[in-house]
Amino acid sequence: MQSTDVIERVTGFCRLLREKGLQVTPSESIDAVRSLALLDLADRTELYLALRALLTTRRDDLPLFDALFAEWWHQGDDSQAGSDAGQSRRRRSMPNAKAQEPQAAGGALRRWAQAGDAMDEGQSPGLSSPSSNDSRSKKDFASFESTELADIERLTAMLARRLNARRSRRWHPARAGNGVRLDLRRTIRLSLKTGGDAIELARRERKLRRTKLVALCDVSGSMDLYSRFLLQLLYALQHAFARVETFVFSTRLVRITEALARDTYRTALDSLTRSETDWSGGTRIGESIADFVVGWPRLIDRRTVVIVLSDGWDTGEPEILGDAMRAIHRRAGRVVWLNPLLGNPTYKPLTRGMQAALPQADVFAPCHNLSSLEALGRHLSL
Amino acid sequence: MKEEIARLRDAMEREAYVTDRATATAAYLAMTLHKPLLIEGHPGVGKTEVAKVLARALEAELIRLQCYEGLDVNTALYEWNYAKQLLHIKLQEGSSASTREREAEIFSREFLLERPLLRAITNADASPVLLVDEVDRSDEEFEAFLLEVLSDHQVTIPEIGTISATHPPYVVLTSNRSRELSEALRRRCLYLWVDYPTFDKELRIVRNKVPQIEARLADEVVRFVQRLRGRKLSKTPGVAESLDWAQALVALGADALGDELVDETLGCVLKDDADIRDVRSAIAEQGLSVLVSEG
Repeated sequence: MQSTDVIERVTGFCRLLREKGLQVTPSESIDAVRSLALLDLADRTELYLALRALLTTRRDDLPLFDALFAEWWHQGDDSQAGSDAGQSRRRRSMPNAKAQEPQAAGGALRRWAQAGDAMDEGQSPGLSSPSSNDSRSKKDFASFESTELADIERLTAMLARRLNARRSRRWHPARAGNGVRLDLRRTIRLSLKTGGDAIELARRERKLRRTKLVALCDVSGSMDLYSRFLLQLLYALQHAFARVETFVFSTRLVRITEALARDTYRTALDSLTRSETDWSGGTRIGESIADFVVGWPRLIDRRTVVIVLSDGWDTGEPEILGDAMRAIHRRAGRVVWLNPLLGNPTYKPLTRGMQAALPQADVFAPCHNLSSLEALGRHLSL
Repeated sequence: MKEEIARLRDAMEREAYVTDRATATAAYLAMTLHKPLLIEGHPGVGKTEVAKVLARALEAELIRLQCYEGLDVNTALYEWNYAKQLLHIKLQEGSSASTREREAEIFSREFLLERPLLRAITNADASPVLLVDEVDRSDEEFEAFLLEVLSDHQVTIPEIGTISATHPPYVVLTSNRSRELSEALRRRCLYLWVDYPTFDKELRIVRNKVPQIEARLADEVVRFVQRLRGRKLSKTPGVAESLDWAQALVALGADALGDELVDETLGCVLKDDADIRDVRSAIAEQGLSVLVSEG
């Protein structure tokens, strides 16, 4: 290949990655072009390994990168895959283009997005203040108007405050008289005045430490009525409180933390629409939560509250769900299972999935209306 | 394959590290483009080892910064030598210098204790290898601070000013993904995902690190561990566990796995009580052969 050819192909490849949703910054494209001089361009495996190191930033990028690399660089020369690369890049049939397209997101999300719009332009959050005896706070989310979503914002602020109160291991200067540990640097500075005699002691103390939150939200068909409100809650939490990781699932698990971190609820939903989430699909709670345990093993520690939002209608094997929940329970500070159906007094958690998961939850609570969400605050601080 | 990459790979292999092309290529690019290399992967797949071996292969100093929650600039970058400062103040007693002058004196480089990051930057002779281990354990504030060091190869100490590197370090960051790293940090790094090794690679590693092991035993150990990784476990064994186990078995004079032997030594491979019980009962039901037989 001529070198100008290669440069064009590499920049074209960067463009393709960007089009298909992998973020590739201009400086990464430049690095990719710079690296060409450092590589043996006749060696396809080497080019693959180099571009992969340069243009991906996380493991989740790899499958898409591999598929696009194959599409862009291999035209029928499958003999190339070298020994090492072959391991990480099993011969795969090209993922079918349709599956990659966001149509799967479907109409449900688009409707939510429109409702989100109405809310953005709607009311100021301070106006409504449902107390626990307010009839509206008892109203089931299933019959909620989108205009009432502002209440969720107020709630979130409260929840975020609850999550914010613990000492960390980070030290910072204390005001005079406070603090438990000597702050030597400041003490020395102060002692300059007295010729090295530390008469005035500066002290330091632990900073407030914050709990982390991991939310796993069921967005399958049976949750349709509730997931819009729950997503709204998660969106608000993500903004009020920095340490939230959010995942949604119906038949598979998708991390939406970054999408939710977008500026407005609308843009967040827009980007979720384009994601590969299987909105309103079937339910594979067990497998999805197991995926979380395997894929994000150390996202949870003793200071993490894990919230599962689901009605527990699982079509998979209950053992899978039970095992996954056990793994989470063992490592998390607290496991909270929120089930909107619990609001119905006649509801009994008898589904096999729910039965398998329940022993692993520290808290099993309803989340069908505002007062139930307000009660949630109690469970969030560790 | 480019000759330089092959050479780097050979140099790493000479340091007893079984290196694949992906690792050699990423390390080579990180060095020539002078960008940090972020290595992610499950615990025990040898991420940290890459930095160590690289340092040995390059005959460069290895500077290691172990991250943990609450790690702050004072521990990572520099600290003042308080005892020396106090002594100095005492000695200067009665001098006519103003407080400001005396302060400038005791907060100068002479009284500075270098911590890993500062040492990595002020190394006078050659570029060292800086290993920022388990960067995901540090908190967001520290990660943000790390960006300045990584992208500009310089640090700022309020009392002294900015110190720039004469020989920028080769930086390797490792992460177990306990926390998502910031996009900004990721963007600055080359990325390498290290998966569990294939059977052949792990066999090479075991035979390389435990040379006394019988061929058959090595085979069985690796097959066993590889099978374990396919099971649902709360702590999946890494390569380190295979090596520990192989070593223990050799110490016991074993040349093949047997029911009793496995039962006694399972704790080398599995570190979780429930996992051990699980695997024990699987073996009791189906026999050891399910975990060691070929194919």
